[in-house]
Amino acid sequence: MNADKQISELVYRSCLMLDALDFEGYLGLCAPEFRYTIVAYSPELKKDMVWQDVNKEELKHHLDLVPRHIRDTGTISRFPTVYSITCSADGKRANALTGMQVYKTRLDGGETTLFGICRLIDVIGLDSGNPRLLSRQVRMETRQLGIGSQIPF
Amino acid sequence: MSRTAAEWRQGPKLPATHFVNSRIYTDESLHHEEIEKIFNKVWLIACHESELANRYDYRTFLHPCGRSLILIRGEDRKVRSFYNTCSHRGNTIVREPAGNAARLTCVFHHWTYDSKGACVSIPREREGYGSRLCKEDVGLREVKAEVAYGGFVWVNIDDQCAPLAEFIGRAFEDLEVELSPQLEVFHYHQAVVDTNYKLWHDTNRELYHDYMHYHNRLTGLGQKGYFDRVFHCYPNGHAQLDSMEIQYQAYRGQQRQLTWPGAPKAIHKLIDIFPGTTFILRVPSFRVDTMTPLGANKVLIEFRGLGLKADTPEERAERLREHNNLWGPFGLNLHEDLLANQMQTQAMRDGPEAAHVLHGREENNTTHDEIGMRQYYAEWGRLMGRSPHDPYAKLRDERR
Repeated sequence: MNADKQISELVYRSCLMLDALDFEGYLGLCAPEFRYTIVAYSPELKKDMVWQDVNKEELKHHLDLVPRHIRDTGTISRFPTVYSITCSADGKRANALTGMQVYKTRLDGGETTLFGICRLIDVIGLDSGNPRLLSRQVRMETRQLGIGSQIPF
Repeated sequence: MSRTAAEWRQGPKLPATHFVNSRIYTDESLHHEEIEKIFNKVWLIACHESELANRYDYRTFLHPCGRSLILIRGEDRKVRSFYNTCSHRGNTIVREPAGNAARLTCVFHHWTYDSKGACVSIPREREGYGSRLCKEDVGLREVKAEVAYGGFVWVNIDDQCAPLAEFIGRAFEDLEVELSPQLEVFHYHQAVVDTNYKLWHDTNRELYHDYMHYHNRLTGLGQKGYFDRVFHCYPNGHAQLDSMEIQYQAYRGQQRQLTWPGAPKAIHKLIDIFPGTTFILRVPSFRVDTMTPLGANKVLIEFRGLGLKADTPEERAERLREHNNLWGPFGLNLHEDLLANQMQTQAMRDGPEAAHVLHGREENNTTHDEIGMRQYYAEWGRLMGRSPHDPYAKLRDERR
C-alpha cells in the first residue's frame, strides 16, 4: 500500500474508532509523543482559543474518565474527507489536512442533526513503516456546540 | 406509592415558598413578562474590560430585550454603551462581535457616529433635511454602563435604574480580594440550550446536584468540610456560598499547585447575581456565566474563563487546562449540567398538569439546603407580582 493510502486510512480509522468509543484503539494509532489540541478562533476575543491541549497520557486519562461521567445518550458520527497529504523529503513524516462534519443522532427517535464542522491538521510519523499520529490539531469552525461533548472530535 | 392526576396537581405538603409551579419555566407569556419586568430593569454583564483593552475597541452584546448593544471604549478610555441601531432606518450598525473603530458607520446609508454616540456625518445632510433635522438630533440611544466587580462591563437599559453598587450591595464581599487584580478573558464560548434560563441558574444555586458529577463527588462531596458551607442571601436576589478546598488529588492523583491572589489553596467559591449571572472560582480557574433568555425554552449562555493579566505563559496554560478539563465545550462537567437542564425541559410541558419543582431542602442554610433557590424565587415573585408556586393566582382571582 502506498503512503498516501496508509495515511488516509489512518485518519479515517481514527475517526471510526472515536465514533465507536474505542478509545484504546484510537490511542493505539497515536505515537507516544502524541499531542492533541482543539483550537477555535474567537471573533469575540479576536484571538485563538485553546479548548483542549493534552499529551497522550492526559488524553488517555480524559478518555478513561468519560464512562464515569454522565453523558448524552445519542451517538456522534464523524465524516472526514482527507483533502491533502504532504510527505517530508526524507519520507519520515507527513502532514494531512482533513475536513470533517460531525453529526449527532438522538437515541430516542433517531433524529440526526449537524453538530459541528472542523478541520483536522495531522502530523503523521512514517518512520516505522506503520503510520502513527504524532499530533492532531482540531481546528473548529463551529463554536456553538450546544451542550457540548465530553468526547473529543 | 404513585399518584393520581388529582394528587399530582395538588402539590407537595411543603410551605408555598418551598416549591414552584413548573409553568414558570415553560410559559411563553411569562417569559415575555420576565423580559419586561426583570431583564429590562436590572444590571447585566455585557462583556469584560479585557475585551475592550484599547481605545475604540468595541464589542456587541445581545440584550435579553432582543436588541444588540455596542460597548465601546472611547478616546477618554471610558466604556459606553449604545443600541446597535442606526438612527436613520434602524439598521444594525456594527456587524462583527468585536472590532476597533474610531467611527461607527452604518453600511446602509453611511450615517456615522463617534465613540460617544454622537452622529458626526450624514451624507447630503443639508440637501435632504435642510434646517428640519441635523446631526445633533440623531445621536445613538445610550445605555447606562459601568465597569466594576472584576472589570466586568455591566449595562442597564432602564434610564431610571439605581446605580450598580446599590443593585449589587454586599454580594461580592467574599470575592473582593480575588477580583481585585486585573483579569483577562482567555476563554469564551456560547451555548444555545433548549432549556429555561432559570433552570440553568438554579443549577448554579444548589450543590445537591454534586451527586451527578463524578468529579465533584470525589473532590468535594466525599471530603471533610463539604457539608459545612453556608449559603448567604443578599438583597435583590443575590447569593453566595462559603468556600471550601477542592481535593483535586482524589480525581487526578495530584493537588493543584497554582493558586489565585487571595486564595492560597485550591478553593471553590460561588456567587450568584440575580437574575442569571454566576461567578465560580475553582482555583486555579475562574468562570463567569451570563445568560440571555431567547424564549421560555431556549437560552443563550455565555461562558467566560478568566486568568490574571499578570499570568506567565505557564500559569495561563495551567489555568486554561484546568478550565477546559471541566468547563470547556469538550469538558467533563459542563456537559453534565447542560444535559440535566435540557432533560428537565424535555420533562416539563406547559399545560394543566404542570409539575411542582421542589426547593424544599432545609439544612440550616448549608451546602445542600435549597435556600439559594428559595431566595431567588422570592425576588422573582416580588418583581413579577406573581407567586412562583401559583403564578396564575392573580389572574384566577380577577376572573372570579
